Amino acid sequence: MSKTAMLLAGAIGLLGSTVFASAEDVTLDVWTIDRESDPGYMYVMAQEFQKLHPDIKFNIKHVEFADWANDITRAVATGTAPDVAYVDNPNTPFLSSKGALLDISPYLKDSKIVDTSKIFPGPLSTVTWDGKIYGLPRGSNTIALYYNKDMFKAAGLDPEKPPQTWADLYDAAKKLTDPAKNVYGLAFSANANEEGTFQFLPWIQSTGGNFDKVNGEGAVKALELWQKIIDEKLASPDTLIRGQYDSFATFNAGNAAMAISGPWELPRMSKDAKFDVGVTLLPIEKEGDARASALGEGNNVIFAKSKHPKEAFMYLEYMYSQMPRVWNEFGFVPSYPVDVKDPKWPAEYAVFIESMKYARARGPSPDWAKISKAISTAIQQALTHQADAQTALNTAQTTIDGIVKK
Amino acid sequence: MSALLRTMRDGHGFDATLALLALAYLLVFSAFPLVYNIIMSFQEVDMFSLASLVRPFVGLANYKSLFASPDFWPVIWNTVVFVGLCIIFQLAIGFGLALFFQQEFPGGSFLRGLFLAAWIMPALVAGAVWKWIFAGDFGVLNYILQSAGLIDSKVFWLSNPQISLYSVIIANIWLGIPFNMILLSVGLVGIPKDMYEAAALDGANAWQRFWHMTLPMMRSTIGAVVSLGIIFTLQQFDLFASLTQGGPANASNVAQYWSWQLSFQIYDIASGSAVSCLMLGFVIIVAVIYVRSTRHEHRA
Repeated sequence: MSKTAMLLAGAIGLLGSTVFASAEDVTLDVWTIDRESDPGYMYVMAQEFQKLHPDIKFNIKHVEFADWANDITRAVATGTAPDVAYVDNPNTPFLSSKGALLDISPYLKDSKIVDTSKIFPGPLSTVTWDGKIYGLPRGSNTIALYYNKDMFKAAGLDPEKPPQTWADLYDAAKKLTDPAKNVYGLAFSANANEEGTFQFLPWIQSTGGNFDKVNGEGAVKALELWQKIIDEKLASPDTLIRGQYDSFATFNAGNAAMAISGPWELPRMSKDAKFDVGVTLLPIEKEGDARASALGEGNNVIFAKSKHPKEAFMYLEYMYSQMPRVWNEFGFVPSYPVDVKDPKWPAEYAVFIESMKYARARGPSPDWAKISKAISTAIQQALTHQADAQTALNTAQTTIDGIVKK
Repeated sequence: MSALLRTMRDGHGFDATLALLALAYLLVFSAFPLVYNIIMSFQEVDMFSLASLVRPFVGLANYKSLFASPDFWPVIWNTVVFVGLCIIFQLAIGFGLALFFQQEFPGGSFLRGLFLAAWIMPALVAGAVWKWIFAGDFGVLNYILQSAGLIDSKVFWLSNPQISLYSVIIANIWLGIPFNMILLSVGLVGIPKDMYEAAALDGANAWQRFWHMTLPMMRSTIGAVVSLGIIFTLQQFDLFASLTQGGPANASNVAQYWSWQLSFQIYDIASGSAVSCLMLGFVIIVAVIYVRSTRHEHRA
């Protein structure tokens, strides 16, 4: 055998082995809004999963939350969608109704790990479309009322008796507001985007309305209360242009005595807030009304065009099985009942777990973005007095009817 | 064959190749997206049919629903106010500064260079800075105005629907001044100095010299600056994104931001395209004026 022939044979052998290896190894393309530097849920999960399955590799891409919908729909349209991705829960029906996601119901039938009947109804409804299941929740969150116990004491309020009704909330906010000290009674978000809708929807839902019935008597009263809170400067006028994150920062800094937000704030709050904090369920209109809360967080999904659906589903199963850890490590509320061993922030955990029972999904509707826009527009019109609450919500209702009854 | 090579090396073939390259570039990167956008504005489009050209044709339905939208006229009016005020103030202040730096004084050219800082800064960064300045509760501007005793209570620059558009306008004027100043300075340099000397000898005062000499001589430059300014102002997106997101309640929403909101927030891409087509029509008119106003320069 000549030297050249030997080299050639070696090269072919090498080529063969790489072909062989790539047939064995599977690489899953994954998109997430998590960051590698934070605890980064998706990064932690992928690393652990890979240890259990060395033959499955990961290619994780970080996408900014604000760009997510644009990037993902473009990827679907051009056939470059990832295998697995995180999807915010109100956006999931949009993708599943368009056939972009893999129906995992057949895999679920044989799964020993996932029992969808255990999942709370709120999160389950966001992955269900037309009776099929298109993803699994990675965790949930919901909103509640945080309050500064020190300020309660200073204002002569009982820190163990936080506001339970809307009237209580208004009275407390009024007593706690102190312009001389730059303190507002309440911080929340009435932003012109999803966050405004997210914060307002539970107020509608607790009075018997929902995303498709927004102009009922209770909804109007709720919006009028928001109006009153802004008009009387019990909350900063900047509430109209500020997201939840920035609003809550004013609570942490002692510039707001109460704040409406979710458990994702707990890590930052425990660092920044130099006062005693209490958390209670979102107030209702009057004693005896149904409770309601918003449902946040999202789902892990597989895209329909994935070439490795089996491996992708194994990964989804693994993430789903890690639900008992999500509170302590990532700040999500579990999406199905699990035992959390000595939870961090136990008092807050108890409130959010309780609140989870009342958490209702936004939608589900494939046109959620349009519905959400109609609701946040109504909020903004009423709060800026371009229209009264009833008129603004009637307009939103007309828009929503046009979308839902299409 | 050799004849072909020769004409490619020097001759008409070479010229044609260069022109064709530029033409191909324009076709791919300018004409195609424009035409694509116009086509989309007559079709039913969603995020998933974005890549396929064959989509249901709906005629003028997108435009009709746009005109019927209660947001349409307020947004158009905001756009007119935004562009109008920005151009007037950018031009006036830019012209003033250009004349000022025309006077030679120690450190003058250095100071003029400093003014460019605003132009160099990305609009998104400028937006973040202005957001701190304008913040209602703890903003710099409110602090200064309150300490100076000019206002009693805080002004909510960004969340008061009566004010928010003007706050964005102020930020955009600041951002656009250097561009105006530099172009106008270049124009001023082009006016021969001895003309002014002659006029001064004939007894023309400073105001007369400005009104009867500087302004007429600067006409084509001003035309160009205004046309480019309108186009740049209509492109201003980042400031809206970082300051008000068009809010509250669309009080500071303008056509360019609205188009983006329609397309990429509620995925009504057809309506978003229709808005940008309307803007395109307007920009074409402005571009024609620009081309006409600079035509003299080519002849000269």
